[in-house]
Amino acid sequence: MAAAAMPTPDPERRDNIPSADVQLPAVRNYTQVTDEILDTLRITKAWFAGLAFSVFCLALGGAAWVYQIYMGLGVAGYQPPVMWGVYIITFVFWVGIGHAGTLISAILYLFRAGFRTTIYRCAEAMTVFAVMTAGLFPILHLGRPWKFFWLVPYPNWRLIWPQFKSPLVWDVFAILTYLTVSATFLFIGLIPDLAVLRDRETNPLRKQIYGVLSLGWRNSDREWRHFARAYLFLAAFSTPLVLSVHSVVSFDFAMADMPGWHTTIFPPYFVAGAIFSGIGMVFTIIIPIRRWFKLKHYVTLNHLDAAAKLCLFTSLVVGCAYMTEFFIAWYGGDKVEQAYFMTRVFGQWWWAAWIMLTCNMILPMLLFSQKLRRNTTFLFTLSIFINLGMWYERFVIIVPSQSHEFEPWRWAPYAPTYIDWAILVGSFGWFSMWFLLFVKQLPVLAIAEIKEIVPPRMRHSASRLNLDGHGETPGTLAANEVL
Amino acid sequence: MSDSSTPVTEPKAATSRRTFLKVLGAAGATTAAIGCSSNTGETLIPYLVQPDETVPGVSNYYASTCRECAAGCGVLLEVRDGRTFKVEGNPDHPLNRGALCSRGQASVQGLYNPDRYRQPMLRKDGKLAPISWTQAIQLLAQQLAGVQSSGKAGSALFINQHETGSFPGFLDAWLSGYGMPGHLSYAAFADGGVIAANKQSYGVAWPSIDFTAAKLVVSFGADFLETWGANVPQQLSFADARAKGADAPRVIYIGPRRSLTGMNADQWIACKPGSELAIANALAGSGSVAQAAQASDVPAAKLQALATEIAAGAPSLFLAGGSYDVALAVNGLNQKFGNVGRSVLTARPIESFEGMSSDAELTDAVERMRAGQVPLLFVRGANPVFTSPRSAKVADALAKVAFKVSFSSFPDETAELCDLVLPDNHSIESWGDAQPLPGVISLQQPGMDPVYETRATADVLLAVSKSNPKLAGTHPAPNYREYLISRYPGGTTAFTSALIKGIGSGTLVGERAKKGAVATTRTAAKIEGTSGDMYLVVYPSPLLEDGSGANKPWLQEIPDPVTKVCWQTVIEMGTAAATRLSIDAGDVLKVETPNGSITAPAYIYPGLRGDTIAIAFGRGHTAYGRYAANVGANPGDLLPVSFDSKSGSMAWTSTKVKVSKTGDFIPLVSTEGSARQHGRGIAQAIEARELGIVPTPAEAEKAGSGEEQMPGDASHAFLPGLRAPVAQDAQGDLPSDDNKKGMYDPNHWSGMAKRRWAMTVDLARCTGCSACVTACYAENNIPTVGAIHQSTATVNLVGQPGANILRGREMAWIRLERYFEGGETLDDTFETRFVPMMCQQCGNAPCEPVCPVYATYHSPDGLNVQVYNRCVGTRYCSNNCPYKVRYFNWFGYGEPLRPQYAWPERMNWQLNPDVTVRGKGVMEKCSFCVQRIRETENRAKLEGRAVQADEFTTSCAQACPSNAITFGDAADPAWTVTKMIEDKRAYHVFEELNTFTAVVYLKKVNHSVAAGT
Repeated sequence: MAAAAMPTPDPERRDNIPSADVQLPAVRNYTQVTDEILDTLRITKAWFAGLAFSVFCLALGGAAWVYQIYMGLGVAGYQPPVMWGVYIITFVFWVGIGHAGTLISAILYLFRAGFRTTIYRCAEAMTVFAVMTAGLFPILHLGRPWKFFWLVPYPNWRLIWPQFKSPLVWDVFAILTYLTVSATFLFIGLIPDLAVLRDRETNPLRKQIYGVLSLGWRNSDREWRHFARAYLFLAAFSTPLVLSVHSVVSFDFAMADMPGWHTTIFPPYFVAGAIFSGIGMVFTIIIPIRRWFKLKHYVTLNHLDAAAKLCLFTSLVVGCAYMTEFFIAWYGGDKVEQAYFMTRVFGQWWWAAWIMLTCNMILPMLLFSQKLRRNTTFLFTLSIFINLGMWYERFVIIVPSQSHEFEPWRWAPYAPTYIDWAILVGSFGWFSMWFLLFVKQLPVLAIAEIKEIVPPRMRHSASRLNLDGHGETPGTLAANEVL
Repeated sequence: MSDSSTPVTEPKAATSRRTFLKVLGAAGATTAAIGCSSNTGETLIPYLVQPDETVPGVSNYYASTCRECAAGCGVLLEVRDGRTFKVEGNPDHPLNRGALCSRGQASVQGLYNPDRYRQPMLRKDGKLAPISWTQAIQLLAQQLAGVQSSGKAGSALFINQHETGSFPGFLDAWLSGYGMPGHLSYAAFADGGVIAANKQSYGVAWPSIDFTAAKLVVSFGADFLETWGANVPQQLSFADARAKGADAPRVIYIGPRRSLTGMNADQWIACKPGSELAIANALAGSGSVAQAAQASDVPAAKLQALATEIAAGAPSLFLAGGSYDVALAVNGLNQKFGNVGRSVLTARPIESFEGMSSDAELTDAVERMRAGQVPLLFVRGANPVFTSPRSAKVADALAKVAFKVSFSSFPDETAELCDLVLPDNHSIESWGDAQPLPGVISLQQPGMDPVYETRATADVLLAVSKSNPKLAGTHPAPNYREYLISRYPGGTTAFTSALIKGIGSGTLVGERAKKGAVATTRTAAKIEGTSGDMYLVVYPSPLLEDGSGANKPWLQEIPDPVTKVCWQTVIEMGTAAATRLSIDAGDVLKVETPNGSITAPAYIYPGLRGDTIAIAFGRGHTAYGRYAANVGANPGDLLPVSFDSKSGSMAWTSTKVKVSKTGDFIPLVSTEGSARQHGRGIAQAIEARELGIVPTPAEAEKAGSGEEQMPGDASHAFLPGLRAPVAQDAQGDLPSDDNKKGMYDPNHWSGMAKRRWAMTVDLARCTGCSACVTACYAENNIPTVGAIHQSTATVNLVGQPGANILRGREMAWIRLERYFEGGETLDDTFETRFVPMMCQQCGNAPCEPVCPVYATYHSPDGLNVQVYNRCVGTRYCSNNCPYKVRYFNWFGYGEPLRPQYAWPERMNWQLNPDVTVRGKGVMEKCSFCVQRIRETENRAKLEGRAVQADEFTTSCAQACPSNAITFGDAADPAWTVTKMIEDKRAYHVFEELNTFTAVVYLKKVNHSVAAGT
């Protein structure tokens, strides 16, 4: 919620007391927090089934990749001049997904947006796994994937270095940096929770592992002070990365001379799109989790409402970027670019462009309605459309541009084969495998941070809090209403 | 173990750990050592005693004669380490002057064809099984003896491919030794009607044609750039004529279908099939224009204008294809307008077309076979089962012949029906000669030992004769080479010295008597009498010709110059007809006649009348090896057996057909994306009358009028553009301002930064024939990717011929783009422009900075260099290339164990040893034949001299039968290319992108209005 996120000093409000719309009315004390969240770590049959399905999808993708490495990239649907296809689309898609996590955990942290507390762990884990997934695709897409390390500037006696002018080399740095920092950020945030896990664990081996990972956390005041500093530092450190990674990814296109790619709007457009798609994916993940893990009183409708507003905002930015592209194509007067944009919307690729425009620009407008923002079924459905729409956004940027550029003699169609689709499915398998493993090993909600917004016991007189006179805000709804 | 008397006594547990390890180590080492050594000895240098003039790694060139068609062009066989790997035109040959068409260049793929017969074959239990040459010759001798003794020798038949030189005479002499009649000299799709008419009019079969002497060329369906006559010399002359700019002849093409020749014409008069005679008569004054207009469905005004133009257009040139009557009328036009001796050189006839048998003679022979009168049949080099219309039922007739002998080297349809196959040597493996022009003997010598266990037919015939004591004396020559020498004027010495250039002067001793005009009285083909709704035009494919090219993957893969379709037979249909019948490209059509039917996808072609469909002949083989069989359809299945009434030549446009949609769809295996330029200035043209007005780029720069205009227009940045940015400072064109310095120091240690390799392509000369494409495949080891067996992993398209090309994965480093202008209606100004598009070797290359691993970078002499070993295959370079001239190895085309392997065993002998075969997953592109650049530089260095201007050229430029491509160092004024760049027609493609390309195109010159109007 924008108003709540504003860091403006409010003399009447003490720090550390969460604003009403982020409060958790149904959460009474710390023990409840610890018990309920650790309860989600119990392994269930449904979880096993989900993991098995994920691994199956991954195996499918893996088999397709092995076949592709053996036979050559010709098994995929590439049709020159469409030299980049499903793999690069999916790469950009997953990098985009990987943006919401750091945005939520870092930027919203700096902005003191309280609604992030209950969803950030999930988003951050999603980020790390999405970037892990995305990182596979540039390799998958190589003609000789076994030579991928040539893109890395490692010392060698022949003194052959990468071409530092190439955006693909920048990609390597950007992705690896982002993966490192977001994984570190996730880990640092986990330390107090790991200590909780260590303390509750009975299995000696697991206890030991948690013990090592929690870095000997003793819950001392000094530790908390250092922890808070480190967390703040990392949040500040990650913030520019959120903007830089997708800007660099967009350079892959913007630095090329191709009509439809060669445009200065790409970095902000890609960043907005990435955040948009990331929030969409957060909805796709958090809504089933709060339902299946019985966490509805943690991830409240207020939190979702606030996230949905962010989603709406980024959708508007993305829609503006779409319109700007068309405007510039017309206004710029480049015949080649105009021809391409006509084809994009009315030619061979009209269906893809309209999927993109509908899912990313038109449908999210419904979020102007508060009723819909608080309807989890709607949010979940919309998030699926957003995921689809954002995949197609990358499709529209990548494929039609290549298929319809300067040289008319080489214009061509493009259709992915089932190898492309298998690898796409495999990427979802890979992502969800890691995520499923994560949710049963580590708390999907940040225990320590949630405790921060649960009122300390001494002030805890009732289940309803009505501080600061904000009693009429949605945050003060009764617990049964929240559910 | 040994018989040593001292028994080895060892304690029971004697094998200590230490011993065990010792033994293990020793055994392991021995095993490893043995395992690593090869049992078969391999020699790196194959010669202990090196033959003269054979230096490993250095090419030898042998002058020879091309035998892919009757013309007899001179070729140079490039041989290295005993293998011929490239066939190039012989610059000293008067016929082709160093140029060579695609078919000639692809002969090397016939030589190494993996499906060739590897030894003699005999039919046993219905199948051909290998036998030895001794047995085969014995068997043939027995059969001959049998036929002789039964007294039926006079009915035996020998069908030979048409050729000139000594062989026909030798063959007839051999045949007469057994009492057999002279052979049939057969060539499918020979223009028999024209030959007969020429004999009648001029007394020669085929006069030379000089386009440069004409101001107006009118072709009545004569496809002189394709298969009509001797296409290479005709094309050379045509291009020379068209390069004269404003003085070039205006070309008018009359015919129902605009062929490649028609595309090169300035005007197309789309007459009804079979109405050319009426037009020719009207022009000659022996018929009225109104009648002709009615017969041909061409507006009378158009014909009247043509008549006026002709009357004013002397000197002119009239050419005819098709029937005797048309050709005779057209010859009459030439005589009437005084062209004979000027543009029609009857004094310098192309003798290659002398002595040809007519199709009717073959049909008569087939009928004799069917009647069981032929006891023994020989077929050499011809494939009548395929090249005759199916309604002629040649295969059935063949079954009635008691014993059939084929000398075919390939398992073609005819050979597969024969009882005994005695595979002939390929022309590159054999001795021979030809007499293409009067007084010119073109010698044919082998470039290498036979690839397989084949033998030259002449030598086999000699061996058979010598096995017969009665005949042994009739052939004094021990072998065919000696026989050739015996016929060569001047004997051994003259022969040997002539071999160096491949050409001798004089006339072969005892030339076979030239046949006169064949007088046949056949019922004329009556096209109007046949039932159906569309006319059918069947024409020989420019690349595959009569189908003999179909087993050469280059010729299958190089797109047809007109339709741009490869590995597929399409039914061409005019735009009007397609609209009328609501047919889209790729809709499968069924074409029916009483003789049969075929189904094939439709190709919509604006250069075809609305009442006509056209199908190229050449595909649809049922045998003939892995590249030919089951690819495409054979329009011969539709045709009736009908002849040109006077010449007995097969009438290919002789029937109407019924066309219907089947409802299926087959995507076209085409390399064409969009046939229109969308105003992007890729193929530019200029009107001839404007040539005098337009300033040269240099003049424009001086006048300061070179603003950036439309894409591709030459601008003020033109010349520096060619030299920028790498070598610009080397030439001192720019101030030594650090910001503007190029990448390399002009005094780079390599000395290379002084050069800027560049190329001009003169579109006024280019005819779109695609010989440059073939030359590039041959020189640069470019894989063909369209064969059926190469599509096993092309997911969703498995098993389709051309599957990889359907996905746009053809690898042609140079491609012939064919853009249409106009053509919405038949009366529109419909124009075709060809652009050979190869890597433009940009000075400011978009591909270079995006490669993350430096696999593509700029060399000091201005080339965009592609380092295959370094490429990881991100394909970013291709994305960033505006010209889309980079090609990716989607499969392991160079890996022998894969189905995608492009050079199955023996085909790999053709690979150019100077060029790497690219691996799976790397990018490749035109290198400006960098291997030739470096070879020349190294040679100059070794000889202690500088590289001479125009010392060498690229493969495409070398082969081009239009001399449209010029290559050289644009930084050195001594090279021809430097002068060409200054032409006022020069432009860069996509100049507005500031790529500073090294390829300069010279605009096509159109003559859209008649001179004097």
